[in-house]
Amino acid sequence: MTDNFSVFVVEDDEFYSEVLEYQLSLNPDITVTKFTNAKEFLKNLDKNPDAVTLDYSLPDMSGEDVLKKIKEYNSEIPVVMVSGQEEIKTAITLLKDGAYDYIVKDEDTKDRIWNAIKNIREKEGLKKEISELKQQVKKKYDFTTSIIGNSPSMKKVFAMIEKAVSSNITVSITGETGTGKEIVAKSIHYNSPRSKKPFVAVNITAIPSELIESELFGHEKGSFTGANAHRIGKFEESGEGTIFLDEIGEMDINMQSKLLRVLQERELTSVGGNGTVKINCRIISATHKDLAEEVRKGNFREDLYYRLLGLPVTLPPLRERGNDTLVLAKHFIDEYAEENDMGRLKLSSKAQNKLFKYPWPGNIRELKAVVELCCVMTDSDLIEEEHITFNSTGSIDTLLQNEMTLEEYKNRIVKHFLDKYNSDVVNVAKRLDIGKSTIYRMLQERAV
Amino acid sequence: MSEEKLYDLEQLNSIAEGNEDFVTKMVNIFLDMTPGLVNRIEAGLQMQDWAEVRFAAHKMKPSVDVMGISSLCDVVRRIEGNAKAETNLEQIPEFYFTLTETLDKVYEQLRNR
Repeated sequence: MTDNFSVFVVEDDEFYSEVLEYQLSLNPDITVTKFTNAKEFLKNLDKNPDAVTLDYSLPDMSGEDVLKKIKEYNSEIPVVMVSGQEEIKTAITLLKDGAYDYIVKDEDTKDRIWNAIKNIREKEGLKKEISELKQQVKKKYDFTTSIIGNSPSMKKVFAMIEKAVSSNITVSITGETGTGKEIVAKSIHYNSPRSKKPFVAVNITAIPSELIESELFGHEKGSFTGANAHRIGKFEESGEGTIFLDEIGEMDINMQSKLLRVLQERELTSVGGNGTVKINCRIISATHKDLAEEVRKGNFREDLYYRLLGLPVTLPPLRERGNDTLVLAKHFIDEYAEENDMGRLKLSSKAQNKLFKYPWPGNIRELKAVVELCCVMTDSDLIEEEHITFNSTGSIDTLLQNEMTLEEYKNRIVKHFLDKYNSDVVNVAKRLDIGKSTIYRMLQERAV
Repeated sequence: MSEEKLYDLEQLNSIAEGNEDFVTKMVNIFLDMTPGLVNRIEAGLQMQDWAEVRFAAHKMKPSVDVMGISSLCDVVRRIEGNAKAETNLEQIPEFYFTLTETLDKVYEQLRNR
């Protein structure tokens, strides 16, 4: 924000325009150009000032008309109206017509005009930043680069995403934890025509069930204890963008019927409110549960299930994605190495094999964590088998995936219990319902 | 002979933040432009052109305020107000008289400051 900021002062009162110029140019970044009448100023409008201060009563044209002309030329130019008198009616009209601020000539003018210009500069800076960030986000969620994989199951996913991008259809995403449901939702949003509108993510499990209704639909002031002010909900916040309802399978059954009503009517009533608000957002929901199964069990409303189903996208677990594990591992290694200036890192073939064989119960999220740890553990530019540690919560699947002999499995199980109970053989024998001597023999053979 | 100072440059000095040249420049601008506005008020009065009276008085307000000519702050506002509403128009010549009389003294004082 050190760039030069050009302000046009339009003021026929020479005395006052001097004051303004002097006050503004106390800031060395600001260049002031003065005009004493509207005609001359409008001729120079093509020089695109960053801001304009406009006197309300000019000799050749009324301030209102000049303001309109500026806005016709470029509605983005901020105009601060300066007037010799405080007239609420005029002020309101001007602000409605697009004036940035309305300031009366008195002893506080300096501070007020400084503030106005400061705010304009900050706003312009933020506008620029936002448009740059929007570009970056779009790049980030370009799904051809943000979602990685060549496996046939992922090709199907890509095809579905493409369908979702080009239509307005409701999307439901299912997949185990860590398979990238939110990234898919964002990719759909940021590649769709709604990309410039908000993407609002709501994790149903993260909100206490008694607050979820006000969180989604908003509430009026005083509608319940703690509702100190009117607040809009996530549906309204997403406007014409996308609302992402994560872990929808966890929603309680009462709330499900309220949500269903909203989706059917495409309008909502806030908690404690009377009027209705139309909703225009696209709905993407996600769950790691098998919703059809939940419907059968009576935990999820069938009508809501069909309402949300729309275009179903099923994300395959990593263990079913074949070579994608290695493709992703390499991607995360490169990404981590680049972020931390580590140069190029490679995986040894044994390390690749180890990654490939592991069942990844935590899917891509787990893979990313494991791989990043490898990058830290290695001392060279090669990642070896021993650098890879799995911190999986240890499901039975993981254990079985190792394909050991029954003898080996037996030893593993006994060792696990011995570790857990501080090598208390008597206790472990009792728990596993085997003889103490069996354990002692195993210990002697150093099998455990 | 010493008479009461009719202006007060405190506000101007605070705007100037210590820049004497700026203060001098503004005083000179005031001395240059105010007689023109006074003439417009007078012309407006003669022609009974109240819009003109109002406009000139309106334009005089900021400089009279900034120069701290407190005895005139109210006077210019009343000229403007009466001309705008076109009420109590008979008071305007009286205000105008106070205005010119005071300003003549102010010019004098400013030139000898």
